[in-house]
Amino acid sequence: MARLQGMSRKRREALAAYAFLAPDTLGLLIFVALPMALAFGVAFFKVDGFGNYQYVGLANYRLMIGDDQLLAALKVTAIYVVTFVPIAFVVSFALAMLVRNQFRGIGWVRSAFFLPNVVSLVVVGLIWQFLLVDKRGALSKLLAPFGLGDVSFLGTPSLALGTYVLISVWFLMGYQMLVFLAGLKDVPRELEDAAAIDGAGSWQRFRYVIWPLLRPTSFFVVVNSTIGAVTGLQAFDLVFVLTKGGPARATSTVVLYIYEQAFTFNNLGYAAALTTVVVALLVLCTGLMFGLTRGGRFDED
Amino acid sequence: MAPPPAQLSRRTLLSAFAAVPLLSACGNSSGGDGKELSFWNFYGPSDDQGPQSKWFVAAAEEWNRNNEVKVKLRYIPGKDYLNGTTLQTAFQSGQGPDIFLISPGDFLRYYNGGVLQDLGPALSAAARADYLPGLLEARSVDGKVYGLPMEIEPLAMYYSETAFEKAGLSEADLPKTWDQTLAVAEKLTGKDRYGVMFETLPGYYQNFTWYPFLWQGDGAPIKDGKVAFDSPAAVQALKFWQDTIQHKVAPRKALGDGGGDVVSNLGSGAAAMQESGIWAVADLRAKARNVKYGVIPHPTPDGGKPATDLGGWAFVANSKGKNPEAAAKFIAWALGSTDAAGIERQRQWNTVVKTNVPPRKSVQAAADAKGAFADGALQKFVSEIAPTGKPEPRFPPEVYQPIADAIQACQLNAADPAKAAADAASRIDTFLQTYQGAPIS
Repeated sequence: MARLQGMSRKRREALAAYAFLAPDTLGLLIFVALPMALAFGVAFFKVDGFGNYQYVGLANYRLMIGDDQLLAALKVTAIYVVTFVPIAFVVSFALAMLVRNQFRGIGWVRSAFFLPNVVSLVVVGLIWQFLLVDKRGALSKLLAPFGLGDVSFLGTPSLALGTYVLISVWFLMGYQMLVFLAGLKDVPRELEDAAAIDGAGSWQRFRYVIWPLLRPTSFFVVVNSTIGAVTGLQAFDLVFVLTKGGPARATSTVVLYIYEQAFTFNNLGYAAALTTVVVALLVLCTGLMFGLTRGGRFDED
Repeated sequence: MAPPPAQLSRRTLLSAFAAVPLLSACGNSSGGDGKELSFWNFYGPSDDQGPQSKWFVAAAEEWNRNNEVKVKLRYIPGKDYLNGTTLQTAFQSGQGPDIFLISPGDFLRYYNGGVLQDLGPALSAAARADYLPGLLEARSVDGKVYGLPMEIEPLAMYYSETAFEKAGLSEADLPKTWDQTLAVAEKLTGKDRYGVMFETLPGYYQNFTWYPFLWQGDGAPIKDGKVAFDSPAAVQALKFWQDTIQHKVAPRKALGDGGGDVVSNLGSGAAAMQESGIWAVADLRAKARNVKYGVIPHPTPDGGKPATDLGGWAFVANSKGKNPEAAAKFIAWALGSTDAAGIERQRQWNTVVKTNVPPRKSVQAAADAKGAFADGALQKFVSEIAPTGKPEPRFPPEVYQPIADAIQACQLNAADPAKAAADAASRIDTFLQTYQGAPIS
C-alpha cells in the first residue's frame, strides 16, 4: 500500500487502467493471438490429422499456386464481397434513414428489421431453404403465375451465389442499420435546422450535412462488413447449411474451402497456410482502406 | 431433453485448456491396460432414447456386466459426426475414442493415419465365415480385418403408388431402363411434383448414390491400381443424371435432409420416384405410415447390368487408444458373437430397431425365421436388389473429390460429361502417382 500511495496520481490511474484491461487482454491473447501464432507455425508442416507433424518448409504455400479450386473459391469470395458489402451498405443506410425519426410504433419497426440478426444462422439457412425449394417453396409459388415456378434459386449455379448474397443482406441489415442509427444520432440537429433555414432541400441536407458527418460510421460499416464477408459467420455457417458449397462449387467460399481442407481432407497444414494467406489479404485490404482515409480521421485536415 | 450442462467456472475452463497439450502429449504413448473404453457413435444414448439408442445402451450395459474393462458410450449427433469436427480434432490431438463408427468413405483415411487396430485376433473363425462374401474384405488390408460391419444398406429406387395412380400409370409402367425412367418421370412431373429425384447436395453421400449408375456400364474410378474413370460408363452415367435435370423432371434441391430423405420428399408428394437406401423403410414405417410406396432396382442403361451400392458403417478400434486389444474384443463380441444371444442382438439391430440387410448368414436365417423379409420392400431388397450390389468403395478424399466435382458439374452446371470425366481422371491420376497408402478399391 505504501508503494501505491507513493506513486503519482497519474501512475496509479494508469495502473488501474491496465488492471481493468487485463482480463480482456488475457482472453484475446489466449484465445485469439495464440491460435493465430500457432496457425502460422502449423503452416510450415504437413499435418495428417493423427498427430503426426512433418516439417515441409514452404511446400504448403507452393501448393497454392497450382490449386484451381482455391482460385475458384477466392473468386467466389471476391464476388461475394463486392456485391454484399455495397448492397448491405445501401440497404441498411436506407433503413436507418427510414426509422431515424420518431413515429408511432417506431420501436416495433426497428425491432422487426433487427430481428433476423438474433436468429441462429443455421435456422436462417433452414428457413430460406424451405422458402426457396424447387416448385414447393413459398417464393416459387408466388412466381409460378409468371412461369417461374420451376426456378431453383439454390440449385442453379448462376443464381445460388446471388441468392446467398441477398439472404446475407437480409440477415445483417438490421445490425448495420443500428450502427448507422447510432451515427445519425450524433449528427447535431442544429446543423440540419440551420441548413433548412438557409433553404437547403432534403437531398441537399443529406448530401452536404448528414453524409459528411456520417463518414466515420460509414467507414466502420464498410471495414466491418468486408471482414465479415470474407471470414464472418455468414461466410461459413450459412453456406454450409444452404448449399454445402454447391451447386458445382458455385458458393464454395474460401472459408468453406479451408474447412474442407482441414476436416474433410485432413490437410491441416495446408488449411493453416491458407488461413494465413486470407488473413494477410484482409490485413492488406483493411490497411489500404485506412491508408486511403488517413486512418479513418475524416475531419482533420 | 438435453442433460443439464455441468457447471463450468472460468477457472476450470482455463485449467482444462492448459491441460490439453499435456494430455495430448501422453495420448500416443498410453496403452495396454486402460479400464474404461470410450465408444463414440451417433446412435446412443441420444436425447430421444429411441430404439436404436436403446440397442447401443443395452449392448454396452451387457458387456459391462460381464467384463472388467468397461465401455462408456458417447453420443455425437449424426450431423456433427458426419460433417463436423469432433472426431477429427480428437484424433489430431491424440485424444481419439477407443471405439468408433466408420463409413467406407473414411476407412482409408483412418487406416493410412495408422489408428485402426487389427481385429483379427479377437475374431473367431466361425464369425469370419458367417459374414457374407466381400464384406470383411472391404474393411481389410493385407488380409487383416480392421472393421466389422454392423449392417448392409443397399440403395434402390422408391416409387409412390399414389403418384403413379394420379398420373394414370400402373405397375407395368415402372421403369427398367434409363430412357424409360426419363419418359415415365416426365409423365409424373407436375405443378408441385418431380418425377424422379437423385441427391444434388455435394458430398460423400452423393458419390455413394451415383456409383451404381457407373457400375451398371461396367465402369470404375480405379482398376488394378490405375485410373479408369475416363470411360464410356462414367460418361453415360454423368449424362443420365444431367438429363434428369435438363429434362426438368428432377429437382435441383431436395426437401428435408436431402436426396436420401424419403419421408420429406416422396412421402410429402414432392417426388414420385426417389433413389434412397433400405433405411428409408424404417423411416417410412415410423413417420409416414400412410404413404403407399414400392421399391424397384435401379433402372439400367442399354446393355447394362443391374448394380447397387452396399453402404454400411462398421465398428473400429483405435490402435493408439487406451486398450486396443480389449476394444477389439468388445467389437467382436458386440457384432460377431455366434452364440444365440449374439445372433439375436444382431437380428434386433438389423430387422427390429433398424431395417438393414444383415451382414451375417446366421442372422439372416434368424430374421427369416421371424418373417422379417417375407414380403414388401424388404423382401425385394434382400432377394433381388442386395445380390446385385458391391460394397461402397473406400476412396480417399483425393479420389472422392474429383468424382464429386464431375457429378456436380454435369448434373447441375450443364458441363460436358466427356470433358468432366477426363478432367476427373487426370486429377485422380496425379494423385495416384504419389499415393503410398493401402490399396484403393
